[in-house]
Amino acid sequence: MTRSVSQDEPLVRLYTFALRLFPAAFRERYAPPMVQTFRDALGDSSLARRFLIPLVVRDLATSLAKEHLSMLRETFSRPALIYNALVLAALSSGLALALYSIPQHVLRSGADDPQIALAGDLMAKLEQGVAPADAVAPASVDIARSLSPFVIVYNDQGRPLASQAQLNGQTPIPPQGVFDYVRQHGEDRLSWQPVLGSVKGVRIATVIERVPSLNGGAGGFVLAGRNMREVEARIGQVSQMAGLTWMGMLGVILVGTAVFGWYSRPKAL
Amino acid sequence: MATESIPAAPLSSAVFAILLSLAEGEKTGSPATGPGRWGGKHGYLIMKDARSPQGGGVNMGPGTLYGSLDRMMRDGLVEQSGISDDERRRYYRLTDLGQTVLAVELSRLDAALASARSLGLVPDGGRS
Repeated sequence: MTRSVSQDEPLVRLYTFALRLFPAAFRERYAPPMVQTFRDALGDSSLARRFLIPLVVRDLATSLAKEHLSMLRETFSRPALIYNALVLAALSSGLALALYSIPQHVLRSGADDPQIALAGDLMAKLEQGVAPADAVAPASVDIARSLSPFVIVYNDQGRPLASQAQLNGQTPIPPQGVFDYVRQHGEDRLSWQPVLGSVKGVRIATVIERVPSLNGGAGGFVLAGRNMREVEARIGQVSQMAGLTWMGMLGVILVGTAVFGWYSRPKAL
Repeated sequence: MATESIPAAPLSSAVFAILLSLAEGEKTGSPATGPGRWGGKHGYLIMKDARSPQGGGVNMGPGTLYGSLDRMMRDGLVEQSGISDDERRRYYRLTDLGQTVLAVELSRLDAALASARSLGLVPDGGRS
């Protein structure tokens, strides 16, 4: 049994118009037979309109979503496209890491420069036989607050003999392991946190050197240090800039991959 | 591109209904051609078959039908017969792989039904 289709033309036109919402490749392949199928369904008098129209509306919604997802999957899940994007992402990650680590290293090692000079000068005085108390100029640097460089002289057991530095009213002393290392290697350069967890943010760019003899007796150590607050703030800025650059590069790769994927997508069969 | 492998069961209800509809046509033939000279079925006939209780009672619209047919052609389960009485109508028929896939799915469903029956889960008088 069939119905007259002339009165259905507005519905057919509306359906044809709705088919424009499908991905182009799918539409090119299937719009004419889909319209014809819809016509056939409208012409079938055994199929009630109150059943057919909601069915077609639901079907449009679900199949539109399905075909668009399918098209996106086909467009962007191509191995070559994903491989290229991953390679570019790896390269940009490496570049961002270099953008962070190179300036970080330069800033950190540059933070030791004044201490290297101070330790060298103090070593020269001590080697000439000047007593530690005389060799160290009188000063009191609160290392938690001040950014001024300071020096400390320790005896062979690591006890302070003369100091310009104060932290919580005392002369800070590095861990014994640091002295052991310097005894073996002659020098160490490190970032030292004098009292772990007690004074937030007190990290010292430290140069420590072995003195062969103090006052003609046993050897000792010369420590020159400086609060790293400003240097660490600059390193933080570098880290932030490198992070932003990294995210920017990943964003460009994502957008570029999407655009390239879209324009190079497989065309209709 | 057709892949000559059997898709993992279970099939979606739309795919199963389409395979069943085309297999039914394959078996009975059309009045014009008779069995063995099957020219295929067009979209609305498949939709109608699928909607019937014998066809699985699957209510699908043209979007689902042609989306499924597109993927089934890509998987090599169906093909266009090339025969048409109207250029806007396309006729589809099963491939050998499509018949195999349908047979595998029917066996799976049959085994599940037998199991359900042995457990007394199928009400008396239920269709087999």
